[in-house]
Amino acid sequence: MSQENQHSRPPGQGRPQGRPADTGSPRISRVDASVASPVKFFFASALLWLLVSSVLAVITAVKLHLPGFLNSFEYLTFGRLDAIQRNVFFYGWASNALIGLNLWLLASLGRFEFRNGWIATLGGLIWNLALTVGIATVLIDSQNAFELLELPRGVALAFFVAFLLAALWPAVAFVRRPTGQVFVSQWYILGASFVLPVVYLLTQLMVLWCPTNGVLQALVHSWFLQNFLLLWLGASALAAVYYFLPKELETTLTGYYLSTVGFWTLFLFAGWTGPATLLGSPVPLWIQSSGVVAAVMLFIPLTITSINFFGTLSRDSGWSRAWNNTTLRFVVFGLVAYTLALALQIIFSARSLNAIVRFTSFAAGQQQLLTYAFVSMVIFGAAYYILPRLTGAFWPSAKLVHLHFWSCALAVVGSVAGSLFFGWTQGAALAAAKPFAQTMHPQEALLSSAFAVLFLIGHVAFALNAFGMLTTCSSSTEEARQA
Amino acid sequence: MNNLNLILAGVFSTVAASFGGLLLAGHAQLGALGRAPAEEGGPLFPSLEPGLAIQGRQVYLQLGCVACHTQQVRPAGQGSDIAQGWGVRPSVARDYVLQSQVTLGNRRIGPDLANYGARAKSDSEIAAHLSAPAAGSAMPAFPTLFSQGKDGSLQPNERGTALIAYLKSLRQDYSSPEAKLKQ
Repeated sequence: MSQENQHSRPPGQGRPQGRPADTGSPRISRVDASVASPVKFFFASALLWLLVSSVLAVITAVKLHLPGFLNSFEYLTFGRLDAIQRNVFFYGWASNALIGLNLWLLASLGRFEFRNGWIATLGGLIWNLALTVGIATVLIDSQNAFELLELPRGVALAFFVAFLLAALWPAVAFVRRPTGQVFVSQWYILGASFVLPVVYLLTQLMVLWCPTNGVLQALVHSWFLQNFLLLWLGASALAAVYYFLPKELETTLTGYYLSTVGFWTLFLFAGWTGPATLLGSPVPLWIQSSGVVAAVMLFIPLTITSINFFGTLSRDSGWSRAWNNTTLRFVVFGLVAYTLALALQIIFSARSLNAIVRFTSFAAGQQQLLTYAFVSMVIFGAAYYILPRLTGAFWPSAKLVHLHFWSCALAVVGSVAGSLFFGWTQGAALAAAKPFAQTMHPQEALLSSAFAVLFLIGHVAFALNAFGMLTTCSSSTEEARQA
Repeated sequence: MNNLNLILAGVFSTVAASFGGLLLAGHAQLGALGRAPAEEGGPLFPSLEPGLAIQGRQVYLQLGCVACHTQQVRPAGQGSDIAQGWGVRPSVARDYVLQSQVTLGNRRIGPDLANYGARAKSDSEIAAHLSAPAAGSAMPAFPTLFSQGKDGSLQPNERGTALIAYLKSLRQDYSSPEAKLKQ
């Protein structure tokens, strides 16, 4: 990691608003300028989708306690909007943002000027168009019965091509540069960018194009979902943590030599954990047990990332310095969430515990802990660092940054805690053979509506700030390129 | 670890390991599973779905019913599904071999439907539930599945009729070689 620091630009001090340079003159480096247009495109698309997803999340949350809300049109029924919200969040927000973030990280780590930015932008255009068509199909026609595979299969082909152009090809191009040290962040990005298209294509083939027999579809789907969550979203976000934490704390990582083991064990075991989400399902027991064993083995990468990150934070008043740095405040929040999410996944893959919480909101809470409290918070933190460097401008409002952090942090803590608590109590009541209708908690839906509104407020604050910056400074990149 | 090809080969191997170990091995075990009688010479189960039910399955998918309803009964000891009255035996892989797209689901905001056809009383009761769910239920009404009859009452339209036929076809109350019903 020390090499990373040598290659990096001089770190700024005390930049609560993510200022672009410590000289006070906003300049954009040649490396940043070379990826500015695709990265800005991906971040802007991600932001728009995030807003759409937040509005849909409010509507679906309200529908759970007021089922008649917006129910006159069949297009707006809960089942459709829920699927659309999920796809917009994962493919629109998280994936767009991570493709952009990975591009920037690779360029920055390699000090490498990217010559064919338009290819990545073209990939991004195809990705977003395909997503729009897919959502329209779910809205007015039909959907598939598997989480994150709801969009029609034609869209999947477009996604595949788009991802090759936008993420896999640039990743290989960056790492293939003539002289290069490969850093741990690059392994994670490369691994994530390789796993997603391969796993997505195989899953599409086995579930939608040539469906396998009966419950095997559910097995393939669980394999896809765990790969998507841990090895695409998770690994990409970990890459960002491995970059920002030592860089912003201006230190080296504790136990950096262990990170290789952490990387390989995560990639080795994550795919096998799929069946641990199918306990009690009609799939063979040996497959379920393999999933449980793999989930327990996640303890190894979890321990290593904990040593790497928390060890680093514990030195030289790292926690308080991280708290006073906008990017690290989000990143460290995400890091704690990642640790909790993986620990919960390991603990609740035990059959007896899983039997209680399976099918309740507990699993939704676990997923939100990983995908929002970890992945999305890390993306926010990264955006506060990257966007000023791409636009050569300052964040327009510090108040909006605070509003964004506090509303999103409170909302996700409340929402996850609510899901876990109500999921557990409902599961316990069901285990005591209480009738199903009496185990539902009306307060849960009310609470999640309130938190959905809080999320929306935070996201609007972030979007106002980010779009303010992106639109006012769109010309600075060109100037910098000429300079 | 600076060799790109080595990293890509390693990542490929990890994906291939889980793909082969779980999916191909699972396919080898269950890929050819078909209908079978519980005892020699008996009728084959699961029964073929009526044409109307196949259309109804499409409506079930369109409306995203799977967001709130699962279709799988876990064995006793792994949850209280049987005690809840959602099934008379655990679901087994063979129950799903006729489904072009399995709708196992992973969230229960409403009850499990794997054996709904066996506990549903009549078409009109299912229709009443779909057009006006009981107070306190999180399920919305589905007015677009109904049209006004000559006497002013709500009658299921073509899609509504198909969905009701599909829901009635959901049964796991037969013996299968893997899960025999107690006599």
